Amino acid sequence: MPFHEFNCSTCIPERREHAVVKGPGEDLTSALPLGYLNTIPGSISERGCAYCGAKHVIGTPMKDVIHLSHGPVGCTYDTWQTKRYISDNDNFQLKNTFASDVKEKHIVFGAEGLLKKNIIEAFQAFPEIKRMTIYSTCATALIGDDIGAIAQEVMEEMPDVDIFVCNSPGFAGPSQSGGHHKINIAWVNNKVGTVEPKITSDYVINYVGEYNIQGDQEVMIDYFKRMGIQVLSTFTGNGSYDDLRAMHRAHLNVLECARSAEYICNELRVRYGIPRLDIDGFGFEPLSASLRKIGLFFGIEDRAQAIIDAETARWKPELDWYKERLKGKKVCLWPGGSKLWHWANVIHEEMGVEVVSLYTKFGHQGDMEKGIARCEQGALAIDDPNELEGLEAMEKLKPDVIFTGKRPGEVAKKIRVPYLNAHAYHNGPYKGYEGWVRFARDIYNAIYSPIHQLSALDISKDEIPADKGFITRRMLSDIHLTPEIRDSSEMRQYTGGYDSVSPLRERDYPYMNESKALV
Amino acid sequence: MTCEVIQKGRSGVINPIFTCQPAGAQYASIGIKDCIGIVHGGQGCVMFVRLLFSQHFKENFLIASSSVHEDGAVFGALNRVEEAVDVLLMRYPDVKVVPIITTCSTEVIGDDVDGVILKLNRGLLQEKYADREVHLIAVHAPSFVGSQVSGYDVAVEAFVSHFAKKSEPSGKLNLITGWVNPGDVTVLKQLLAEMQVDATVLFEIESFDSPIMPDKSGESHGSTTIEDLTGTANAIGTLALNRYEGGRAARYLENEFGIPSIIGPTPIGIRNTDTFLHNVKALTGKPIPQSLVRERGKAIDALADLVHMFLAEKRVAIYGHPDLVIGLAEFCIDLEMKPVLLLLGDDNTTYKNDPRIKALQSGVDFEMEIVLNADLMELEDRIKNKELNLDLILGHSKGRFVAIDNNVPMVRVGFPTYDRAGLHRHPVVGYAGAIWLAEEMANTLFTDMEYKKNKEWILNVW
Repeated sequence: MPFHEFNCSTCIPERREHAVVKGPGEDLTSALPLGYLNTIPGSISERGCAYCGAKHVIGTPMKDVIHLSHGPVGCTYDTWQTKRYISDNDNFQLKNTFASDVKEKHIVFGAEGLLKKNIIEAFQAFPEIKRMTIYSTCATALIGDDIGAIAQEVMEEMPDVDIFVCNSPGFAGPSQSGGHHKINIAWVNNKVGTVEPKITSDYVINYVGEYNIQGDQEVMIDYFKRMGIQVLSTFTGNGSYDDLRAMHRAHLNVLECARSAEYICNELRVRYGIPRLDIDGFGFEPLSASLRKIGLFFGIEDRAQAIIDAETARWKPELDWYKERLKGKKVCLWPGGSKLWHWANVIHEEMGVEVVSLYTKFGHQGDMEKGIARCEQGALAIDDPNELEGLEAMEKLKPDVIFTGKRPGEVAKKIRVPYLNAHAYHNGPYKGYEGWVRFARDIYNAIYSPIHQLSALDISKDEIPADKGFITRRMLSDIHLTPEIRDSSEMRQYTGGYDSVSPLRERDYPYMNESKALV
Repeated sequence: MTCEVIQKGRSGVINPIFTCQPAGAQYASIGIKDCIGIVHGGQGCVMFVRLLFSQHFKENFLIASSSVHEDGAVFGALNRVEEAVDVLLMRYPDVKVVPIITTCSTEVIGDDVDGVILKLNRGLLQEKYADREVHLIAVHAPSFVGSQVSGYDVAVEAFVSHFAKKSEPSGKLNLITGWVNPGDVTVLKQLLAEMQVDATVLFEIESFDSPIMPDKSGESHGSTTIEDLTGTANAIGTLALNRYEGGRAARYLENEFGIPSIIGPTPIGIRNTDTFLHNVKALTGKPIPQSLVRERGKAIDALADLVHMFLAEKRVAIYGHPDLVIGLAEFCIDLEMKPVLLLLGDDNTTYKNDPRIKALQSGVDFEMEIVLNADLMELEDRIKNKELNLDLILGHSKGRFVAIDNNVPMVRVGFPTYDRAGLHRHPVVGYAGAIWLAEEMANTLFTDMEYKKNKEWILNVW
């Protein structure tokens, strides 16, 4: 597995071991790219900071909480309304954000008094909310404010409130990943075990490392409830603060994003003996295997299988319709962390696309190991890519689509590569059986966009096809299909609605009623 | 009938109107050609600002970070600046201008950015880049001072004061636009072209709105050059359209090089555009041509179709950049509307002495409130609990949920406007901007009438 050297990065030799090409028959472990090292200044990396890893990625998806950042206003503003982690309480945490608004005089004289006033004001502004998380920022960490002491003081004065403090200033680590770690450990140290839950089922889990992007969590919770499983808490998407204080009573931790949340699972195993089961909500087979494993753990495989059978029967014909039309299309799989290995193999298996490159902004070597193991031969794997390397890779690999973030998607647009938002999704959720079809539908729509096709035409010198008033996606996608596939009555396009999540909130769960009756 | 100016009572911010200084400095930096700024601080200070710009423009802009990690925060991080400059210059051969923008972290730890620039100028640049024109410029933008507005102002001054150099008079006019959109720059250039005025536009950001090209060459970038900036010292005058976004640079040019300057008013609405043309005429001696009389007439015509029937008495709240908010409020009053609440989102203590605010205080004939150091909770609280009773909100996208949750129609204006398509292409300044604003407000009210079945039939015969 030779290291890949980018032309644009020959002048920074430190980059040499951060990219590899997966060669034929090579031992995966012999040459992994370096990972999770300090960023090279000035390289125009895509990485964020440890504050955003703690506050924005993991903290804020918690729904019934005032999320207050102790620092100048920018950290708060910048991490507000830039993600799609919805919640079933009318998106309180998406809509509202809180900053202590540290100014120069506070830097000089300290900002603890300001913080205390802020906490009280915030609770007064939203009297129905009794829970708060507070995050340090670069400025308040450097001046040494004791946020924990202030929080304690307020909790003593206001006995009905509870406050969680996470000290994860922006500089605390090479990327947002440092913040993931810090908030995991802070939560298990300070909050787990402080509430005793009501157990209403024989099967009790925490759902960990799931952030409810466009409703992913609600899709998965639906399956768990259909199996009669009590989900004590979700860490953290659509999760409730007090539920998360009761994590210690689960029988099993079901872990989705092992990059951002394996730390708390590992601690819960050590401290409370709760086993960790890594699952995967993306893709029919990985999801089915995940539900089976959970079923097996509790001895309710039949319930899992019933869901798998029903969902597969409902959605597989739609997935296959897209698979036939996506076969052989080249994909750059360029997400932040765990999706690089969640998706690397299954999009090939179930949608027929070829992963020609994968990268991770903040992943560690372990993530790359899993990603490279699962992707196809010849794929280019890049750790902490920078702007020029991304462009060079796209020029070389000529992908049909890339899966990445919003801003890098704008870079791809200019070189006429369509993008799908791998973080926030285009029209998700992408988890669950239906979600996976939605993902395939979005990929199809991106690749066969008539507008993207038009972008290649140079009207000043190319021949203009003046005989056409329009082109449909199917005219582009079906051209090489055999008549049997093209006209198949078994396969069909996506038939779900625009909002596949809200209806889930109204569902009834027979097994859950049963277990409640038992209690 | 009073216009009261008050300060937000709470000490903290709930749902901010602005981000911090480094974002404003970064916005100024992307307006310059062959310029990539280095933000000296944590990576989030760049990553999120680039995201914000890409949300607003649906485009990508290049800004680098010195990527300060824990060791730098403890032991000092100037070595990160040195490395960042070198890496950036090696990999971007066209880059000539590199502002080093500080943040809260690097200001708190006391990194001497001016000192390291001196060192780099004498060392790295002479040794390794001797045959290349490179300008390193310190922009001090601690996040705990001011806001994105002052960050922009500080950066514009830093660029102008670095480059401006006296030589032969150029006969050109300096036009400092302030924090505007490409659509605004287009309109301003058209107005100046009609008056046959040769102007240096700072910053020339029309090219932020860039194409997808068949040969893949499309790229959003600023177009203000080093020569443009150098020549500002030789202009016949400076017009800074926004007092708080470029006013400093105008005063600098006046004090340092004796370039006469006129600061404001923001040419929003007919009256302020008239004043803008008057000021251009005053500084250049060029007459206002018939073509602009016609253009103005078209705008007046468009407004006359709307004001008495639809816009009169409508109660409006406006938040955002101070010059924008004041300009919009003035225009709304001319449109017979009632801007009952203005929210200015930072702690700048000079706002209350702004002559335009004083004029509102002495001139309005309805109850009006101006909240300084405001946040969006000030708006929401007044709608929910204090019977503000609004017909319309004017502001940027971060306030979208205030409008949505309280069923108040909203026209997106200012920065950022990511929840509506393509607004950066539309002007709010000049006569064209007056038309766009009034018609956008009217159409928004019309849609709202239709959804709420509120006399929607009235539009049948309009």
